[in-house]
Amino acid sequence: MAIRNSGEASARVKPKEKFDFFHDERVRSVFYQILTACVVGWLAWYLITNTAHNLEVRGMNTGFGFLSATAGFDTDFKLIEYKPGIGTYGRIFLIGCINTLLVSFLAIIASTILGFVVGVLRLSSNWLVARLSLTYVEVVRNTPLLLQIIFWYVGVFALLPRVKNSLDLSVGAELVFLNNRGLYSAWPIPGDLFWMTSVAFVAAVIGVFILRGWAHKRQDRTGQQFPIFSASVALLVVLPGAIYLLTGSPLDWDLPTLQGFNFAGGASLPPAFLALLIALTFYHAAHLAESVRAGILSVSKGQTEAALAIGLKPSRAMSLIIIPQAMRAIVPPMISLWMNVVKNSSLAIAIGYSDVVALFMQTALNQAGYAVEMVGMTMAFYMFISLSISGLLNIYNKRVQLVER
Amino acid sequence: MSMAKAEKSVTRSAPLTETSFIGWLHKNLFSSWVNAILTFVSLYIIFVVIKSLWIWGVAEAVWVAENRRECFAISKDGACWAGVIIWLENIFYGRYPRDELWRVNLGGLLLILWMAPLWLPRVKDKIFIGLSTVFLYPFLAGYLFAGGDKGIFMQLMVTGAIVCLVGNTVHACIGVFSGGGLPESLLGILGRKDASDANQRNTLLAVLAIAFVLIYALQIGWTVEAVPWTKWGGMFLTLVISGIGITSALPGGIILALGRRSKLPVIRVLSTSFIELFRSVPLITVLFMATTMFPLFMPEGFVLNKLVQVIIAVCLFSACYMAETVRAGLQAIPKGQYEAAHTIGLGYWGMMGLIVMPQALKHMIPNIVGSFIGLLKDTTLVSIIGLFDILGMLRSISQDAPWRGLHKEPLIFGAVLFFIVCFIMSKYSRHLEVKLSAGANR
Repeated sequence: MAIRNSGEASARVKPKEKFDFFHDERVRSVFYQILTACVVGWLAWYLITNTAHNLEVRGMNTGFGFLSATAGFDTDFKLIEYKPGIGTYGRIFLIGCINTLLVSFLAIIASTILGFVVGVLRLSSNWLVARLSLTYVEVVRNTPLLLQIIFWYVGVFALLPRVKNSLDLSVGAELVFLNNRGLYSAWPIPGDLFWMTSVAFVAAVIGVFILRGWAHKRQDRTGQQFPIFSASVALLVVLPGAIYLLTGSPLDWDLPTLQGFNFAGGASLPPAFLALLIALTFYHAAHLAESVRAGILSVSKGQTEAALAIGLKPSRAMSLIIIPQAMRAIVPPMISLWMNVVKNSSLAIAIGYSDVVALFMQTALNQAGYAVEMVGMTMAFYMFISLSISGLLNIYNKRVQLVER
Repeated sequence: MSMAKAEKSVTRSAPLTETSFIGWLHKNLFSSWVNAILTFVSLYIIFVVIKSLWIWGVAEAVWVAENRRECFAISKDGACWAGVIIWLENIFYGRYPRDELWRVNLGGLLLILWMAPLWLPRVKDKIFIGLSTVFLYPFLAGYLFAGGDKGIFMQLMVTGAIVCLVGNTVHACIGVFSGGGLPESLLGILGRKDASDANQRNTLLAVLAIAFVLIYALQIGWTVEAVPWTKWGGMFLTLVISGIGITSALPGGIILALGRRSKLPVIRVLSTSFIELFRSVPLITVLFMATTMFPLFMPEGFVLNKLVQVIIAVCLFSACYMAETVRAGLQAIPKGQYEAAHTIGLGYWGMMGLIVMPQALKHMIPNIVGSFIGLLKDTTLVSIIGLFDILGMLRSISQDAPWRGLHKEPLIFGAVLFFIVCFIMSKYSRHLEVKLSAGANR
């Protein structure tokens, strides 16, 4: 029909498209959205009414009033003041969050360093070294993290000598002890004039930045290079060191000493913390090593050759050309790996380190029984951390994109 | 062309530095003094590790003993594998009744039998075989494992599964040996090869119906003893949970990924927030939520057992991770593919199902296998909330009176087990990656 009438049709004004209610795209899209919203809304309503009803039937308490109620249990590891019977559940939540953040922060730093080292070793021209690091990566990546954590805890730290026969890690100086109750270390107590050393250190850091800026400007202008690295290190060591000595070494050390059955004084870390820290570090370093390797390999060989061709030293080529480009491929997976470190630190519950899940979502929940609120608060904490970290990632991506053409 | 130039150049063997062992050593291990030091350090590390592992794990190890004390009496610095060996059945099957173990084994064998045609050449209709594995095998296996009385729904599902299994197997055999398929052979036997299409289809449907009725009648009399879920455990339980998680992750992940890339704002926002919610919290909190909050979600008097709660939690969790994997695959598909699909008149589902999704999934196969490995490892977390999966079983060896305090050996055994399974899977995924990209690299 269309073919027969084509001559006529072209002559006529195009007829107004018939509005087909059931097959119109806009109507359909609105309909599907309303339908989805209704189904989800109904489901949410159903779950909420059920929950409310169940809470009422079981006589369970609701509301966030419990946060200011006192908690009757103690925790073995806390960085802020807390006493059972006086401290509140809100305080318990805070302790849990701080403990999670502490172990994650240390594990992130350690695993990032180890991951970069192993990633570079994976690419070593030395066959044996490359194979050895490959073995480490494969073994760690192909076994469950939970199993590794438990292994470090019961297979390594629980088998350390007792308090009486503690290992002295500082080789006879009696500063750092390791035993099956944990790690005991000397802890500095700043004296009256120690603030001057701190100020000197901050000044040295600022000085380093100024020096770098000046050196770059001078190089741009004259082409002369300045040994920035050694100068910075010297500045950072000499200035605070000199002030420290001049003010009469205002730093005392609180030494761990054996009293009765345990050490007193100094700082201590429980074995569960150490086991968790080491397991998280090794596990995530292996994952990071693969990202680092892939990132370095992703920089095409032409870049190295071009850098050498314009006369850069191999070390300068690496630091000015290869690494900045590799970082673009390494940083996004690295940041999501950091997020995984925070999430995986929740496995602490298996070995009894008081992180937010073990302390708040398990112990406190068993004691007080505000299931909905406590689960919600714990999840909100993790969500807050993940959103912050992914915000960081977005900022980085934006910056990198600006550098791109 | 000048003939003189065509004369063969003198063949020289490769230089010794490239071929000889010494040359290889020089190039790969001792190219500089730094490398030489690294080589010696590595050699020393390897020597120490292997030597101590050998002495502890093999040379001085105790393989047969009644309890841990006896182990110590025999050898003080060796591993006590005897405890692990005695517990081996528990590690694999948990507390599943020992007389009924054949059911677990049969379930595993049936899965292998069912899936094997997928890897065989010359077998047709692999998509159907794959789909039937996902949709019917779980019912057959579920009944095998749980047992008890079959309801009418279970009767139908088990019958359907058996029909499918028999059909698939015969189909695959015919495919391998003659290159044909079951339907053609059936039509040949029945002499209907030249009949019209509708006629042929009716014949096949009739055969199917007869087979269904026949097997239905046969399976009515077949019941197995009920085994409560509390007796499930060990590696068997790990595989059940991760198996269900894996099979539901793919469809769930595809739906969520499509939702996240949808043009409809309501659907997009809902999918995105669902995915991000589950991806930003640790699995253990999701498991805790399942065990503490699911009972509150359900209407009064409706009780979900812990295993079902855990499985639901694992499914939701893995679907959200799979959604991101699938989304990455979808993003890798060039826009031209979408436009081409629209041009030939396909609607949304036609475009996604026929053009985009197959390519995206093919792209993502290595990543999908990767997330399967991740899920298998993550399943060990259920031991924290009191299910006796493989890790729970390994841990409970040290609670058993004769083996009290035996921690290291079971954990190392479990690690080796996981390593073997996960390593093979990851190597296979790398092999698939190479195989699948062969077309693109021509």
